[in-house]
Amino acid sequence: MLHLLKIEWLKVKNYKAFWVFTILYAFAILGINYTGFYINELTVESMPASQMLLGTPYAFPKVWQTVGFMSSWLLYFPGILFIMLLTNEFNFKTHRQNIIDGWTRKQFITVKFVFAILFSLAATIFNFLVALLFGLITTGSHFSFAGMENVVYIFIQTVAYITFAMFLAILFRKSGAAIAVFFLYGLIFEWLITVLINFQFHLTPVGYFLPLQVTDVMLPIPFGNKVIYKDAPEVWIMVIASLVYVVAYYFFALKKFTKEDL
Amino acid sequence: MSILTVENLSKSYGRIQALKNVSFSVPEGTVFGILGPNGSGKTTTLGTITDILQPTSGSYQLFDEPPSADSRRRIGTLLETPNFYHYLSGVKNLEIAAEIKQHGKEDIDKVLEIVDLTRRKDSKFSTYSLGMKQRLAIASCLLGNPSVLVFDEPTNGLDPVGIAEIRELMKRLYREGKTIIMASHLLDEVEKVCTHVAILKRGELITSGKVNEILSNEDLVEVSATDHQKLLQVLNDLNGKTKVVDENSVVKIFFPIGTADLAEVNNFCFNHGVTLNHLVIKKQSLESRFFELTNN
Repeated sequence: MLHLLKIEWLKVKNYKAFWVFTILYAFAILGINYTGFYINELTVESMPASQMLLGTPYAFPKVWQTVGFMSSWLLYFPGILFIMLLTNEFNFKTHRQNIIDGWTRKQFITVKFVFAILFSLAATIFNFLVALLFGLITTGSHFSFAGMENVVYIFIQTVAYITFAMFLAILFRKSGAAIAVFFLYGLIFEWLITVLINFQFHLTPVGYFLPLQVTDVMLPIPFGNKVIYKDAPEVWIMVIASLVYVVAYYFFALKKFTKEDL
Repeated sequence: MSILTVENLSKSYGRIQALKNVSFSVPEGTVFGILGPNGSGKTTTLGTITDILQPTSGSYQLFDEPPSADSRRRIGTLLETPNFYHYLSGVKNLEIAAEIKQHGKEDIDKVLEIVDLTRRKDSKFSTYSLGMKQRLAIASCLLGNPSVLVFDEPTNGLDPVGIAEIRELMKRLYREGKTIIMASHLLDEVEKVCTHVAILKRGELITSGKVNEILSNEDLVEVSATDHQKLLQVLNDLNGKTKVVDENSVVKIFFPIGTADLAEVNNFCFNHGVTLNHLVIKKQSLESRFFELTNN
């Protein structure tokens, strides 16, 4: 597997778009959290009473969840990146050449998923550092490991978003179609379906188990979530559901890629 | 040893049958041409044996073994188009190919030199001309000095000098004892470089075997005389011929293989009052044979 990863690394090492996306993503994580941090400070300063509602989102132990929630809006970034990495292969027909040159079809898919998991790990570590930073600069906040399980949820959510994007890329093979569906589904239709299932058909919490939604509910907004995600299932159930999705994407991709003409 | 054995291979795309029960075998150390017009199933055949396409039925073996990723690593393959990462340089692309084939970087400079790309090795693949892309693909095939090479339309997109170079390269590889499997719609290419040929037409194998056996079922003698009409008349009575074809400036006489006797033809014509000004024995060209084989 290390050798396969080395080859995957050779593919992205000199790929400018990969680094541009990654660096923008890193700055965006810093930026969105700084924005949240700043607005929170301003709000509390002008209306001290608002703290009753908002709590102290950027203080330990809440900061792990807050950073995870804020950064989750940016997961479309790595999603698009991995859609590009896959559809590039289809466009350049290098997915064929890799097989011709001596990879198995399974190796091709597996190393992509492993690479996505490693990328998610790096993103999680970065989120951890950002959370640590904001936790430490919040006045009156003292470092605490409490709430650290949220860092694990950040990891699971990142993997779930990226592998969902990869699933779309393998399904559609065209970057345009995959990216369009990714955005439309993630930002609009999934919410719509959740609302319909949960409130129109009164099937709560079924609507929380949609592929991206389940990770959003697992790492909810740091205040008022009891109202927004009423009757949400227990976290461990959502963790398992998220992992089931990731495994399902992998096996779907594997099946499609090993059974079809390339 | 057979390098490749194809058994009853069929492939359908929906209702289109691209390959119908094709069987042939490629002996070691040959230049094996798969010849056919566009859409005859050449690339489908090569795509199947490189695990890019799934056959509808039938099977194939590489090196007398069931195919595997390991056997593909021992074969340098150029299929259809040069497939490389557009954003990487030629040399970076070859590094990836070499890693997948589990070879080191040591061959890269050498193969770039062979295809004359050393000067542009650090340019991005996307800036290459069609001919350079094709040459990079051939360089990639040569990585690790494989004993078997598969080329699909290897001279596609090359200029005349490039075409001559690649044909020369193939002949050299053949002399080094390598087996080359090559698909082409260019008859003259197959005639010039191949020792064996399989002819495909609309997915069906028409014939396969040694080039000189398949392409010269008959001897061909070309003659001409000042009095063209009389010559034609006289030749009607010639014994031993299979047919006579009038081609305006010359007349072609066909004989069963090995039976053409120029002296006899000359004598016969002279005795019947025709003096030949042109008399030559030719093997039937692949082109005419090819059209004959693929025409309905």
